[in-house]
Amino acid sequence: MIRVSADFAKEVKKRLGGETITNCYQCGTCTSSCPVARVTNRFNPRKLIVQSLRGKRDDVLTGEMIWLCCSCFNCQERCPQRVEIADLIYALRNIAISEGNVPNIYSEFVSALYSEGKLVKVAGFTEKQRENFGLPPLKKPDVEAIRAILAETSFGEVLKVLEGKE
Amino acid sequence: MKVGVFISDCGGLVSKVLDIGDIEKYIRGIDGVKLVEVRDSFSSGEGLERIVRAFKERRIDRAVVTECSPKIAEIRILNRLKEEGVNPYLVEIVDLLGSCILPHRSWPDKAVEKAKVTLLAAVERAKLLEPIESRRFPIEKSALIIGGGLAGINAAIELIDTGFEVTLVEREPFIGGLAARMVRFFPTDDCALCVQAPIYELKGVTKTSRKGLYRSGVSELPGLNIYTNSRVVSVEGEPGNFTVTIEKKPRYVDETKCIGCGECTKVCPVEVPDLFNAKLKSRKAIYINAPNLYPPVYAIDETICKFKECAKCVEVCPTKAIDLDQKAETIKLRVGAIIVATGFEEFNPEVIKEYHYGEYPDVITQSELARMLDPFGPTGGIPIRPSTGEKAKKIVMIQCVGSRDRRYNRYCSGICCMIALKHADMIKKLDPESEVQICYIDIRTTGRMHEDYYERAREQGVIFVKGRPTEIVLNPDSGKPVVIVEDGLTGEILNLEADLVVLSTAFVPSSGSKELAEILGIEVAEDGFFKEYNSKLRPTETKIRGIYICGGATYPKDAPTTALHASSAALKAGKFLRSGEITKDLKVAVVNEELCGDCEFCPVVCPYGAITTVEKEGHVVARVSELRCEGCGICVGTCPKNAIELKHYTDDQILAQIRALATKLDPKEPVVLAICCAECGHCAIESSGIFLIEYPPNVRVMKVPCAGVLKVHHFLEAFNAGVDAIMVVGCKPEGCHYEYGSIKAAQKVAFTKTLLKALGIEPERIEMFQMVHIEGDRFAEAAKLMVERASSLGSIKEMIKI
Repeated sequence: MIRVSADFAKEVKKRLGGETITNCYQCGTCTSSCPVARVTNRFNPRKLIVQSLRGKRDDVLTGEMIWLCCSCFNCQERCPQRVEIADLIYALRNIAISEGNVPNIYSEFVSALYSEGKLVKVAGFTEKQRENFGLPPLKKPDVEAIRAILAETSFGEVLKVLEGKE
Repeated sequence: MKVGVFISDCGGLVSKVLDIGDIEKYIRGIDGVKLVEVRDSFSSGEGLERIVRAFKERRIDRAVVTECSPKIAEIRILNRLKEEGVNPYLVEIVDLLGSCILPHRSWPDKAVEKAKVTLLAAVERAKLLEPIESRRFPIEKSALIIGGGLAGINAAIELIDTGFEVTLVEREPFIGGLAARMVRFFPTDDCALCVQAPIYELKGVTKTSRKGLYRSGVSELPGLNIYTNSRVVSVEGEPGNFTVTIEKKPRYVDETKCIGCGECTKVCPVEVPDLFNAKLKSRKAIYINAPNLYPPVYAIDETICKFKECAKCVEVCPTKAIDLDQKAETIKLRVGAIIVATGFEEFNPEVIKEYHYGEYPDVITQSELARMLDPFGPTGGIPIRPSTGEKAKKIVMIQCVGSRDRRYNRYCSGICCMIALKHADMIKKLDPESEVQICYIDIRTTGRMHEDYYERAREQGVIFVKGRPTEIVLNPDSGKPVVIVEDGLTGEILNLEADLVVLSTAFVPSSGSKELAEILGIEVAEDGFFKEYNSKLRPTETKIRGIYICGGATYPKDAPTTALHASSAALKAGKFLRSGEITKDLKVAVVNEELCGDCEFCPVVCPYGAITTVEKEGHVVARVSELRCEGCGICVGTCPKNAIELKHYTDDQILAQIRALATKLDPKEPVVLAICCAECGHCAIESSGIFLIEYPPNVRVMKVPCAGVLKVHHFLEAFNAGVDAIMVVGCKPEGCHYEYGSIKAAQKVAFTKTLLKALGIEPERIEMFQMVHIEGDRFAEAAKLMVERASSLGSIKEMIKI
């Protein structure tokens, strides 16, 4: 039997970014504004919200949809009910991560940031190109400082979750 | 002072629980009490006559009467006394059954104590009561109606039929308002510009249900004066006697001479896009919006006319009706009542950039579509693409443009779904082959026969897409607008290419509503529409007597609701004007000019605009309009100098009652004072009695007209007199009978808490409670809470003297 409940929406409302979820009246302005939804029906912000509002916690948090938003904020600009959709999706991602639901690519980003202080590894080719253009070599990030910041902020929690996952 | 106390046994109900003999003995011992009587009832028959005789024989000059159905008993007793020439304000009524018996059945002994103290307080208050005079204010038996749309016209007809003179002011050169543009109205699908046929006896004019405005004869109604091209610029004076200044712009055409032949328009060389007709055609500087309007005479648009440089129209006019020298006129008149019927207008969707209204010519609004669908309109009743002039075969409508939108107007405009459905129906009837697609969020058809339109639209093949479009783009190949929308029911994103996109825009208050509200001293609500006195029960009244509102001025409305509203406003105005005078008991605020000066707080807080300021001996002092004052006392509670007092609830009267209620007959028992407003607060307390919900008898109740009258020193005096805790019970802030009395009281309670802290007293000894009538159970809970608090805190040991 399919259960419908407002519990998940209440939980989301308490999270930073999730406060406006109950403003949604399902007009679909977000979906028709969305560049991702235009190319794939794997992502539909309106559906993501309605699933959350109906309490489909597992579907939302373990599904791929929350990770497909490209954060262009078009939906958020145009939403007539001022649902902060992009922020809401961040809130959903945060809940998902805290429960260990995170796609591998994000774990890779995180570990790159932790080990090298950069999200994307800079290849030798790039260094060479910079030299050719007469640009100075990239500074080495202060990895220790970055780690300290990560540990102090709630990112530390994320790291813990990810370590646990490994 | 000779006080008589009349204790009703309420058919034995009182003596069943309370020892009346004991109470009687106690009352006889109170200073000033000269007469005590106990009977079955004092609200009718011999009981009531005994009170009358006691007054007439001068055995007493003040009275305290207890009764069991306080309100009804109060009305009967006071009416009878008034008949006999006894001033009713000399009598204090106490509901012994409701306040001391029903809610305290489990504690009969304590209930007796409470009854004694309650009566003591009533006697102490009665000793200080003063007679209050009643005054008659004459009223001008005529009305002004602002706005000549459907609401204004209907209200005018009703008021004239009722027998009053009416002046109708319209700022446009023609009356008819929005209806003049809308062609047809739902749910009858007949002409929008039909009005109810006025009733008057004349050869050939019969009472039919309705008539076209131009042939209804409205303008000929005896006692109706219509000013077009006019604005109300100032309103002064008091309810019943308003002095209104109207500015009438020149029309440059003598309305009495013009026969509407149109020769002038033929020769006029100046041409501009015709806004009335959605710029679908042009019009001349001398023009008439449509030949079926009233007045059926031409007008000159002074912003574009070349006047003396040209004057061609003057030459050709066969009746010499054109007068280019006409000047603006200022008209002053006195009226007793004013009805605001200024209506609503379309929201300008230009601000929603993604819809490109005003930029793409084939994106229009519903009122513009209505002009196209008018058989006598600029396109002869055919919807066209303004960009090319071709017939529009595929039409996409977008609902909720600027309404239900937190960025613009949060509310649902209510009538736009029906307008879209009506237009879809007209288009389908005109050409069943044309396509109509409606993008909607929710379809709202909540009126009689309204759902029929939705059913019919589906039968006719109108397609409903559940989704609000994100954007309208232009197809570069076809040049046509494309609506991008998610079909919420299938989850697909659709690109709907259309010949014509029609925006169902929100409806917003007419421009100038706010300024007019200021002129009249009434309020507009957050949404910009005029605010009703009570949106549930008195939707056409404002907080100022003699000023009424109706039609779309209070919220967008369809024609039937507008007609209803207009009748209501006319009835209210008629009721007010009928007798030619207002009789009012002067239970009003009175200024002590010696103390008053220079702060100007009270004019700001008075919800009724009853307080103005005047210069006196170099000081600004407050002056109260006896007619506008409703006797709430919010000004009294606000005055920092104690310079304003409310008659019948003076400081002395309030304090005497508080001190008496603080009396501790049993020193072990804590005393909680509940001061309630006479409206919802008292109602909630009373309802705990009526519904037999018990609360501890330690709670002693006193009533003031509005919690807003209370002052911080009342609370401090109460604590000083031995009260252990205070509860202030007012209305819910949003339902306060005097708008913000309850809020003011809450502020004062909060301030008292800080003060108590400073005085070394526990701030939780005072609390504000806001409740409605049906919350008797909440009151009982609150009462228990406060009594528990008072018991655990114990008596106040010491209070720093102020």
